[in-house]
Amino acid sequence: MKNQTTWILLMVLTIGAFFLSKQFNFVYLILGLFTAKFLFVAFQFMELKKAHTFWKFIISFIVILVNFIILIALH
Amino acid sequence: MEENKLGYKNIYYPPGGILLLIIILLELITFGLTLVAMVIISKSNVELFHTSKMMLNTTLGSINTIVLLTSGFLMAQSTHYFKLKNFDKSSFYLKLVLLTGTLFCIIKSYEFYHKSIAGITLEYNTFFTFYWLLTGFHFVHVLVGLVILFIMLLSMKKNSSAVKEEDFEASSAFWHMCDLIWLILFPVIYLIF
Repeated sequence: MKNQTTWILLMVLTIGAFFLSKQFNFVYLILGLFTAKFLFVAFQFMELKKAHTFWKFIISFIVILVNFIILIALH
Repeated sequence: MEENKLGYKNIYYPPGGILLLIIILLELITFGLTLVAMVIISKSNVELFHTSKMMLNTTLGSINTIVLLTSGFLMAQSTHYFKLKNFDKSSFYLKLVLLTGTLFCIIKSYEFYHKSIAGITLEYNTFFTFYWLLTGFHFVHVLVGLVILFIMLLSMKKNSSAVKEEDFEASSAFWHMCDLIWLILFPVIYLIF
């Protein structure tokens, strides 16, 4: 995926999340969208997609774990 | 360069360098745990956190997300052209990163200013203590990132070929860290109730 495609996707997700949060309060969906955006930035812009599997795993693990704990804490 | 010979697939040479990546991971854990603490504390005073969140400007926050993500894209482009030794394009994109980064700081300062003149400071309530600490620390990271990138731009103006690829990549990784931190802060502080 190219940087330009990722940027367009990130803009769509950001605007989508903004309107979604105004209409409803889908906590799962909003956190899911931001986790996806986080991974796009880390893998594409930071080029972690080229890194060793360990680094890909650890960064994905941290963001998923944080959001998972937040979801559990919210309920 | 040793890094290029070994390649990014080597566990010791991730993009941006192993030390910076460890710092990024530690920063993410620190901000993440503080957010978890905030959510846990919010359970004991749901009403206060809800009304406090209603006082935040989600439109400005979303605009800032767009600005910061755009700066991340421009930084990725700058790094891409730097690696291709196209220093003119790389420094052009770097200038745009500095511009968007400054725009982020201006919008954030405007938000901070309006909160403080309304008397919503660090001691206002528990939610705003977290709000000021988390967004304030993130703001400091953005400022440090801007200084690093400005120094990088000056070095490129002096002698582009003397700037090491590892140094440029590390500065780029630091800037992306600001994006990553914001992407975990923004939904929890501004969007979800």
